[in-house]
Amino acid sequence: MALPAESSTAAALPAIPPDVTVTPVRSSADKTAFIRMVYPLYRGDPNWVPPLEMERKDFLDPRKNAFLEFGEVELFLARRGGEVVGRIAAVKDPHYNEFHGTNDGFFGLFECVNDAGVARALFDAAAQWLRAQGFVNVLGPMNFSTNHEVGLLVDGFSTPAAIMTTYNPPYYGALIEACGFTKAKDLFSFELSASAEPPEKVVRIAEKMRQREGITVRCVNLKDFPAEVVRLKEIYNSAWEKNWGFVPMTDREFDHLARDMKQVVRPELVLIAEVKGEPVAFSITLPDANEALKAANGRLTSYGLPIGLVKLLLASRKIRRLRLVTLGIKEGYRRRGIDAILYLDTLRTARRLGYEGGEISWTLEDNHLVNRAIESMGGKRSKTHRVYQRPL
Amino acid sequence: MSDVFDKCRSWKDYRIAKATGLYPYFRSIEASHGATEVEIEGRRVIMVGSNNYLGLSADPRVKEAAIKAVEKFGTTCSGSRLLNGTLALHEELEVRLARFLNRESALVISTGFQTNLALSSILGRHDIVFSDRQNHASLVDGIRLGFATERKFRHNDLDHLEQLLAAAEPDSAKLIVTDGVFSMEGDLCNLPRIVELAKKYNARVMTDDAHSMGVLGEKGRGVPEYFGLEAETDLVMGTFSKSFASLGGVLAGPFEVINYIRHKARSVIFSASMTPASIAAALKSLEIIEAEPERRARLLDIAEKMHNGFRAMGFDTGVSVTPVVPVHIGDQVKCFRFWKALHEAGVFANPVIPPAVEAGHALIRTSYMATHTDAQLDRVLDTFETIGRRLGVIPETRPTVYEPVKIARPGTGVRSNRASEKWAAGSAGQLAAKGLTLEQLSRMSSREMAGKLFDAVEQLTWRAANLQPADLRKLGGASMRLWEKRGELPGLLLEKGANFFMRNGHDQNNSQAERN
Repeated sequence: MALPAESSTAAALPAIPPDVTVTPVRSSADKTAFIRMVYPLYRGDPNWVPPLEMERKDFLDPRKNAFLEFGEVELFLARRGGEVVGRIAAVKDPHYNEFHGTNDGFFGLFECVNDAGVARALFDAAAQWLRAQGFVNVLGPMNFSTNHEVGLLVDGFSTPAAIMTTYNPPYYGALIEACGFTKAKDLFSFELSASAEPPEKVVRIAEKMRQREGITVRCVNLKDFPAEVVRLKEIYNSAWEKNWGFVPMTDREFDHLARDMKQVVRPELVLIAEVKGEPVAFSITLPDANEALKAANGRLTSYGLPIGLVKLLLASRKIRRLRLVTLGIKEGYRRRGIDAILYLDTLRTARRLGYEGGEISWTLEDNHLVNRAIESMGGKRSKTHRVYQRPL
Repeated sequence: MSDVFDKCRSWKDYRIAKATGLYPYFRSIEASHGATEVEIEGRRVIMVGSNNYLGLSADPRVKEAAIKAVEKFGTTCSGSRLLNGTLALHEELEVRLARFLNRESALVISTGFQTNLALSSILGRHDIVFSDRQNHASLVDGIRLGFATERKFRHNDLDHLEQLLAAAEPDSAKLIVTDGVFSMEGDLCNLPRIVELAKKYNARVMTDDAHSMGVLGEKGRGVPEYFGLEAETDLVMGTFSKSFASLGGVLAGPFEVINYIRHKARSVIFSASMTPASIAAALKSLEIIEAEPERRARLLDIAEKMHNGFRAMGFDTGVSVTPVVPVHIGDQVKCFRFWKALHEAGVFANPVIPPAVEAGHALIRTSYMATHTDAQLDRVLDTFETIGRRLGVIPETRPTVYEPVKIARPGTGVRSNRASEKWAAGSAGQLAAKGLTLEQLSRMSSREMAGKLFDAVEQLTWRAANLQPADLRKLGGASMRLWEKRGELPGLLLEKGANFFMRNGHDQNNSQAERN
């Protein structure tokens, strides 16, 4: 039955509890509260990985986060009797709207107690700010664009979140839907074990293509880091051009990301495929640093002592999982099996280095070509993240 | 038992300033090289801290006139104008000045300060004086000595003035008193609006043209001429120690008024009159001011060059549109450090700190002479740039754009540099919010204090853990820069420490005031 959207959502919206106030983050104390509110919220959840407080602080610092050089973010905190019960970020990404010719705003960093009224108060505040910017739609969660963490976890709560992916309590989906949001897009994650042999047929075809097209795969040369970053950037911005939600990264954004990744990267797992010496595709697989991050529990020091740092360093030597974060092929070199070659080489290297397996994420639900390729390698869908939307 | 001398003994500021080597006042000049350069403590420095706007104090003609007067009349008049101290020269100067200023009558008084004190003689019990809050101290004292009620309006805030005028008893006699050019920040009064209000509320207007006579206006008659409002300005006051290369002051206006002041003002009748040398110098200077308008033009060119030169480097010269070029520093201890560094680098300017300016708006006041050479001015600019960078007042690289200043040239009607919003916006309240005070610290529980400390450690650890080879290379450059600035370390510590204690001192004063 088709009801006018207007009346159906308006009637269904949960009431805002009178004792809840939502205020924009202004002081540094507010900002600290914004960052720290997650730790009590997730206490006891074995699959939640506490982010490092300082990393989050830098993420919200316009001097440290390259996105904030062009994008604008307004943070809101919901409080009930002085206690923080929710948070949200309203995001203005001019590059997205320029690139897609849209007029959309985003929300992100959404966290909330299980109370639809609080969620609504947060979304109202964000929506009001976004409306004032002149936007007509709101999408999210985006922290703060598809180049960072995206989506709300709606399926696959039984395993810990992999590096640079989002995690949330299962009830968030219901909260967001109660506030009038509908699905915009699902993002898939696949689980792959390093011990499983890839299907023989795939291997055969891949090897044949490698011979025929003259494809060579090498790993990244960290000694020549700046030049390698330039090569990757070029492939990245041309490979994702037509993808849903894609925003080209600015040079500064890419450099920042590269810099952050360099901290955890194993160069053997960053592969660049070349055809006649020209880089045409790459894949980045990172050790799942979240396994180690968990040990630190959000801080590198406690009582001034570097306990977290030591734990983090010790745990980081025991990382056994990987995440294939991104794989991109330049226009004109697709459907030649380059992706299969990169998957296979990554798998082989992972096995050689002693990794147990890992996650390939994320892919768009309707990117059948890629999804099928991953499944043909033996990948099993493990998680679904969802991006929601709502007219403002 | 208390002693009136107690306050002198317990006055620490002087001792602190002296001990830290930052004491900037009462510097004795040992020699002068054409006024634009002087020797202080054996060091030859460029003088950009005098009000000798036209550079006439070193003019051979002026010197010659003073010498001749000494030879003819001796070194002093030994008495007051009223009884035995009036020379033919005094009268000649008064006649010439009245003619120069287009006034019925003029009165010369021994110093500029006393000239403003003389104002008190016309301020009767039922009169009301409206005075700009940033008026010169001599005006403040002049009004204080009179019997009239004083109403102060916020600096150049004519809406406030109108409020006060409207609230005043309509029948009482009113006088609006304002500096023409404000001596510290170099902006002009809004004379057109003041005159308008004066007409509306039936008030008289007096301007203190100490810094504009000889400088502003086509003929150099100061702010009233510059605005074309000479007829509407009832009384004008000027000093001889600035453009006139002498010492003394003049009050000009209607004959009856000037004559009354001549006979009633205690600062006139109980003070020895201007010395022969002073009068002769002022007379000769007046002649030159009338005959050589190119000096004024050159001075305004210099003002423009300096304003824009400073601005191009990233300095803020505030609201000034005149040859008074204040360079905004902000913190008062930094201002002293800046001044000292300037002095050591061969530039003499003046540090101006609260209460002369608002808290947090300490500045280095520079003022120029028509006789400064371009080479001298360029050296001043270079010195300011080097020191400004070293002390972190301006960025390491020049800003790409800056708002040029429109100078108060004849006919432009410019009053104040509106582009300088920063200056006006940064109020004292915002500054107070920054930085930790003892009071805040004392309010914190030990738990919170420990939390702050641990957060700082966490931040340091995070930064250290994030260091990458590229950063380390940068670190090399940064530490080099730091090493180059090592000489500033004691100064910087001093600044931080002084600010911390001053902040806490002020807090105590405030709480004391609340208690009272």
